Amino acid sequence: MMRLVRAAFDEIYALLAQMVSSLFRHGLPLTDKIAARTALTNFVLHIHPVRVRRSWIRMSYTLCLGGLSFFLFIVLTVTGLYLMFYYVPSTGHAFQDMRDLQFVITFGGVVRNMHRWAAHLMVITVWLHMARVFLTGSYKKPREFNWAIGTTLLLITLLLSFTGYLLPWDQLSIWAVTVGTNMARYAPIAGPFTRYLLLGGTVVGDNALLRFYVLHVVGLPLFGFLLMVVHFWRVRKDGFSGGL
Amino acid sequence: MAANFKRLMADSREMSRRSFFAMVGWGAFTVASLAALWESLNFMNLPRTALYEEPAAFKAGPPGDYGVGSTTVLTDKRVVINRDPDGFYAISLICTHLGCTPRYFNDVTSDLVAKGISGIKDPDTGLAATPANPALVGFKCPCHGSRYFRDAVNFFGPAPRPMDRIHVEVAPDGKLFVDRSVIVDRHFRLKV
Repeated sequence: MMRLVRAAFDEIYALLAQMVSSLFRHGLPLTDKIAARTALTNFVLHIHPVRVRRSWIRMSYTLCLGGLSFFLFIVLTVTGLYLMFYYVPSTGHAFQDMRDLQFVITFGGVVRNMHRWAAHLMVITVWLHMARVFLTGSYKKPREFNWAIGTTLLLITLLLSFTGYLLPWDQLSIWAVTVGTNMARYAPIAGPFTRYLLLGGTVVGDNALLRFYVLHVVGLPLFGFLLMVVHFWRVRKDGFSGGL
Repeated sequence: MAANFKRLMADSREMSRRSFFAMVGWGAFTVASLAALWESLNFMNLPRTALYEEPAAFKAGPPGDYGVGSTTVLTDKRVVINRDPDGFYAISLICTHLGCTPRYFNDVTSDLVAKGISGIKDPDTGLAATPANPALVGFKCPCHGSRYFRDAVNFFGPAPRPMDRIHVEVAPDGKLFVDRSVIVDRHFRLKV
């Protein structure tokens, strides 16, 4: 009997060991060489350089603002996904769905407020991230391309914020977007057409809500995600300055 | 590619069949991509005939419902109908700054007069807000604080011009007929 249990335990242990080794591939990184190979062959770890000096990751240099922005983006994606289960982007439903999320659905208020606060915070952290990159001169060669991607990501963050603002469909939303799209109309030549395209009409109505919703939950996040992939990859390729 | 093309022009035998087809291929690809981009824009630009918005024109009851000197705000229509001794006129209640809906107030001037701001005078009607007579009726925009006199002339805040005066007539059934899509002269009056 004991032998059977022991054998079963051994089997399970072997299985777990195989799972761990297939995940990390190289065992505990006892030497620099193994550590390097582990980082190279693992998808999660490969984002980090094989070698990292302590001075490179000094918190006081980056203040972790880019990482915080990405963290908030993940929070927003997850909470946004939760909200999508209840929210219907039509003028007849949107406001009531938002109220239900806030007051009726279990933890709906928490999820909605997480989404809202994370959105506000992300705008702040992205701005601060840009300021930090500017102040440490990290936009200069060879990182100028990544600076360009970063400014586009800032724009996407702001557009996500703007499109998300309409979705609760309350007075604040409607008039804010009325004002925002009227600003677009002031642009020379393409202005009125841009407004018509954004709203899918001449007033902030059903079409506008649907368009902003599609941009908010698919268009802009997808575009942003693709740019983020390139952004992070370039951070790795451009290397670290070693903390000046 | 441009260099290839130059050589092709100079002497067709200079260009290989392979690079000629490559040029044709990339050219077709570019044209097709641009066409797809253009048609994507057209796709998003829905035809006005497929717009299920409220019609611009509507009826606003018989003229007799409006007293002389009255101001009637039709909030849902975003229209104001004024009746003066010299006739009717309709205002499109859309702020000329950034498109919010100004609200009607009995007094839009006395706080400015109290602050010592002078020269608040409607050039069309000649009405002026003075320390002796500080309160004029009008409209205030909730978004950025633009203010208008009763006849839609702007006098304070960021609004760049008066609100639009729109077409109003008496329909065959005797009711007022307002068309928000037709902007008329600011001195237009409908005599009934």
